[in-house]
Amino acid sequence: MSSVHHQEQDQLIEKYGYDDHFHEHHEGDKFQFNFLTKYIFSMDHKIIARQFLFTGIFWAIIGSAMSIIFRLQLGFPDASIAWLKPLLGKWIVLNDAGVGTLEPEFYYALVTMHGTIIVFFVLTAGLSGTFSNFLIPLQIGARDMASPFLNMLSYWFFFLSSVVMFYSLFLSTGPFSGGWTAYPPLSALPQASIGSGAGMTLWLVSLALFVVSVLLGGMNYITTVLNLRTKGMSLWRMPLTIWAFLVTAIIGLLSFPVLFSGFLLLIFDRSMGTSFYLSDIFVNGMALDRIGGSPILYQHIFWFLGHPEVYIIILPAMGIVSEVLSVHARKPIFGYRAMVYSILAIAFLSFIVWAHHMFMSGVNPFLSNFFVVFTLIIAVPSAVKVFNWISTLYGGNIRLNTPMLFCIGFISMFISGGLTGIFLGNSAIDIQQHDTYFVVAHFHIVMGVAAFFGMFAGVYNWFPKMFGRYMNDTLGKIHFWVTLIGAYAIFGPMHFLGMAGVPRRYYLFDKFDAFSGFDTMNKFITIAAIISFFAQIVFVINFFWSMYKGKRVTSQNPYGSNSLEWTTPIDAGHGNWPGKIPTVQRWSYDYGKDGIEFTQQHVPLREGETPSDH
Amino acid sequence: MSSEHTAQIHHSEGNHWNGASEPFKASYGKLMMWYFLLSDAFTFSAFLIAYGTLRFSMPTWPVPDFVFSGLPGGIHHKPLIFVTIMTFVLIASSVTMVRAVQEGHRENKKGVVFWMVLTILGGLGFLGCQAWEWTTLIGEEKMSITRNPFGTHTENGTYLDGDGHDIKAGDSFKAGQSYLIHYHDGQFHPLKFKTESGDVKTQQMGPKSFGALFFFITGFHGFHVFSGVLFLIIIALNVASGLYARRNNHYEMVEKIGLYWHFVDLVWVFVFLVFYLL
Amino acid sequence: MGHLSYEESKKVVLRGLLILAIVTLLEVFVALIGKGYIINGFHLPIWIMYGAMISMSLYKAYFIVYYFMHMKYEVPGLVKSVLLPTMLLLWAVIAFFTEGRSWHDWRAQKNDRPIASLTGVVNEKESKMETKHGQVEEQKNEQMTKDSTLQTDGNTHDEESTSEETQHH
Repeated sequence: MSSVHHQEQDQLIEKYGYDDHFHEHHEGDKFQFNFLTKYIFSMDHKIIARQFLFTGIFWAIIGSAMSIIFRLQLGFPDASIAWLKPLLGKWIVLNDAGVGTLEPEFYYALVTMHGTIIVFFVLTAGLSGTFSNFLIPLQIGARDMASPFLNMLSYWFFFLSSVVMFYSLFLSTGPFSGGWTAYPPLSALPQASIGSGAGMTLWLVSLALFVVSVLLGGMNYITTVLNLRTKGMSLWRMPLTIWAFLVTAIIGLLSFPVLFSGFLLLIFDRSMGTSFYLSDIFVNGMALDRIGGSPILYQHIFWFLGHPEVYIIILPAMGIVSEVLSVHARKPIFGYRAMVYSILAIAFLSFIVWAHHMFMSGVNPFLSNFFVVFTLIIAVPSAVKVFNWISTLYGGNIRLNTPMLFCIGFISMFISGGLTGIFLGNSAIDIQQHDTYFVVAHFHIVMGVAAFFGMFAGVYNWFPKMFGRYMNDTLGKIHFWVTLIGAYAIFGPMHFLGMAGVPRRYYLFDKFDAFSGFDTMNKFITIAAIISFFAQIVFVINFFWSMYKGKRVTSQNPYGSNSLEWTTPIDAGHGNWPGKIPTVQRWSYDYGKDGIEFTQQHVPLREGETPSDH
Repeated sequence: MSSEHTAQIHHSEGNHWNGASEPFKASYGKLMMWYFLLSDAFTFSAFLIAYGTLRFSMPTWPVPDFVFSGLPGGIHHKPLIFVTIMTFVLIASSVTMVRAVQEGHRENKKGVVFWMVLTILGGLGFLGCQAWEWTTLIGEEKMSITRNPFGTHTENGTYLDGDGHDIKAGDSFKAGQSYLIHYHDGQFHPLKFKTESGDVKTQQMGPKSFGALFFFITGFHGFHVFSGVLFLIIIALNVASGLYARRNNHYEMVEKIGLYWHFVDLVWVFVFLVFYLL
Repeated sequence: MGHLSYEESKKVVLRGLLILAIVTLLEVFVALIGKGYIINGFHLPIWIMYGAMISMSLYKAYFIVYYFMHMKYEVPGLVKSVLLPTMLLLWAVIAFFTEGRSWHDWRAQKNDRPIASLTGVVNEKESKMETKHGQVEEQKNEQMTKDSTLQTDGNTHDEESTSEETQHH
C-alpha cells in the first residue's frame, strides 16, 4: 500500500520542488545529440555508471576465470589441461604423452593478475565507480555530477588503464607475475623474473592511469555531495549509501596519491637505475651496484594505500547493504548516526594501521605493537555496524528477494571474515599464520566475497532503475545460494590449510611431506570454486537477458523506497527529473513511521508529525 | 578522516548544510582545486617521508651547506646563497600571483594580465635557476641519480695528499665534515687520509640515495612549476581574450590557478627545508 | 574576498613578501651561524637549529596557506576539510622514521660481524626452470640445504659490506 501514487508523486515535486531552469538551458540535450555522445563519450552520470559496470563485469569474468585455472593446478596438478591450450597457448606445455601442464611462470602471472584485476578493476572501479556515479546525483537530488566532463574522463582513464592491462596479458613474456602487491625486487628488476620486464612496465602504466581515474572520480563525488544536494537534503538526511560513497572518495583521494608516489619511485628504480627500494641484491651470483634503499620502504608506501584500499572496497558495499537492508526489511536502519560515525571511524583508522600487512617482513617489532593496537580497535566500529544491521533485520517485515538475500549473505561473510582478522591483527599469531592460506581465506571472505555480495545486492536492487526491467528472481536466488555455499566451501577449508602452515602462492605441494596430505581438501576447494564460477555465469546470463527480456518495471517506485532516485521517471533522461527538482522534507529512512509503511523523502511532514532526523 | 569536522559543521552552521547551497561558500571548481591540492600534498608528503626514512637509515648524509655552495660565474664556498635567491624568485612570483587574483576580483583585465605575466616570468626564472643548479651538480660535480661523490667523514683525521684545489696535504678535518671526490681524466680521485687512530683510509662515495632523492624530488617539484607556467600562459591568454570577463565570476579561473601556484610555493618551503637546511 | 578593502589587501601582499623574505633569510642565517660559517668556532646545538628551522618553515607554510591561498577568509568547514586530513601524515612520519632508524641500527649491527668473502657462497647460477616440476624441486631442495649449511657455519655472506666494496671500484 503505497502512500503516494504516481501522479501524486509528480504533483508533489511540482508543488514543493524548485526550478533550476535546467531544461531551459539544455533544450534538446545538446550534449547528447548522437550515438557517440549519448552512449560512448557520454557525460550523463547514469551512462557512465553503466560503462563502469560493464567494464567491471568484463574484468570480473576474466579475473575469476583466472582463479579457476590456477585452482585446477592446485587441486589437480596431475590432470591434463591440454584442452586449455587453444586459450593459453605456450603457457600450457604438452609432454610426450600429450598431458598438458601449466607453466609455473604463468601460474604466478595468473595469481598476480587475479589479485590486481579483482582488487582494482572490479571492486574499486566496478563497485565504487558504478554505484557512486549512479546513485550520488540521483539520491541527493542533483541533475548530474559537479563536473560531468571530468566524470567522463574518469571513466576513460579507467578504460585506458584496462586496455593497457588487458594488452599485458598477451605479451610473449606474460603479464607481471610478482604478486598483486608488486614488491621489489621482483617488480624493480626487469631481470628478476620473466614477468618483471615488459609485463611489469605495462602493469605500472596501467595502474598509474587507474590512479588518475580514481582521483578524477573522487574529487567529483566529494564536491557533488557537498555542493549539489537538493534543498532540504541535509547531511543527516542522506541515505547511508551516500555517506559511504563520500567517505570512500575521501579515502581514495588521500591514499591513492601515496601509491602513485610509490610507483614513481619504483619506475625510477626500474628504468633509471636508482636504488630507492633496492639494497644488497645478488643476481646470478653477482652483487648489483644497487645499495642504500629498502624494499620495506616500498611495502610501507604500498600499504599506506593498500589498507585504505580495503575500505575503499568494502565501504561502498556496506553503504549499499545498509540501504537495501532497510528498504526490504521495511524498517528504518537501526542506529543511523552510529552507522555514520562508524564509517568515519573506520576511515580514520584505515590510515594508521597499514603495517599490520608487514609484521613478518622485517618491520621493527616495537613499532608493530602500535599497529596491533590500532588494528584491533577497528573491530569496534565494525562490530557496531554488524549489530546495527542485525538489529535492523530484527522484527522487520522482511522481503526475502535476491538483493535482500545478498545483504544477509554480506553480513554473514563480513562476520566470518572479520573474526579471522582479529587473529591476523595480532603480530604474535601472525608469525604462524602469515603468508598461509589462512590469510587467503580471511581477505577473500571479508573483502572479496563480502564486497561482491554488496555489489550483487546493488545490481539486483537498482537494475530496474538502470534498465527499466527486473532481473529474474529465481535465477538470482540460485545465484545467491550457490555462491554463498560455494564461497564457504572454498574458503572455509582454507583456514585449516593455513593453520597447518600451507603457504600461499605455491605452485605445487607434492614435494612437501607436511602439505601433501591436503590433496583431497585442495580437490574439494577446486571443485567448489568451479561450481561457484558457473553460478556467476548464471548471473551474467541473467543480467544480459534481463536487460532485453526481463519483466518491465511499471511503477516509478517498485520497492516502496524512500530515497529520491525512485521519484524520477522509469526511464530518466539527461537531468534526471523532467521538471523541477524535488525538495527533501524528511529523513530517508521513514519506514513504518506512524503506521505508514513508507514515506518518501519529498513528502512534507504530516500535521503534528515530529521529524525523525533530530 | 574528519569525523569531528562533519559533525561540528552540522551543529554550528546548520543552515548552509541543508542543501541547495554551497556549504563551504565555494564553487565546486574551487573545491575541486582544493581537494586536488590536498591529494597532491599527499603525493609530495610520500616523497618527503621516503626521503626522511632513507636518510634516517644511512650512517652519514652529505651536509647541504657544503653541497649547495656554488654561484654562477665560478664562485665557490658561498653556502646556500644561490638557493636563497631561487626561493626569493619563487616567493616573488607567488606575490605577483596574489596581485593578479586581487585585480581579478576588481574585474580589472589589464591588471590581471600584467601580474600574471610577471608570475610567469618568476616561474621561468625559478626554472632557470634550477636548470643551472642541476647542470652544475651533474656536469661539474658528477652527481647523478645513481652516484653521489659527496661523502662525509665519520672520524677526525688528516689528509695525506692534496686534490690540487682546496685540500692540501696535511689539512685536517673533523667527523661530520663533507667532502667532494673530484672527477677528472674520466675517473674519480678519492684522497687518502689518516684517522686519529692511525688507520690510512680512502674517501668513499656518499649515500647514493642522496643524489637520487635530490634529483627526483626537486625534479618533481620543477615539473609542477613547469606545468604551472604552462597553465598560467594558457589562462593569461584566455584572460586577455576576455573569456573570463564574459563569465562574470570575478576571474575564478585565475583564482584557481593561483591556488595551484601558491601550492607549488608551499611545497618548495618543505623541499627547501629538508634538502637545503636540515 | 570582501573582507578587506582593495588598498588593505595590497598592503597584506607587501607585508607577505617581507615576512616570507625575512623568515627565509632567518632560516639561512640559522643554518650558517649554527655551523660556524659566520662566527668562527661558534656552533648551535643541533636541536635548536633544527627546531628553529622546522618551526620557521611551518610558519611560512601557514602564512602561504592562510594569506596567499586565502584560507583565513574561507569558512571553517573548508579549512578543516583541507587541513585536518594532513594530520594523518603525523603517524606516517613517526612510523616511517622509526623504521628508517631501525634499518640504520640493523645495518650497523651487521657491519660489526666479520666480513665473509663473497666467492663460494653464491657460486651456482639459478638453474633454469624446466617444465618437469620434479627436477626443479630437487634442485631447489639442494640449494636450500646448501644455504642452510652455510648459515649454520656462521659463514654468512655479508651483502652490505661486499656490495659497498663493489661500489667503490
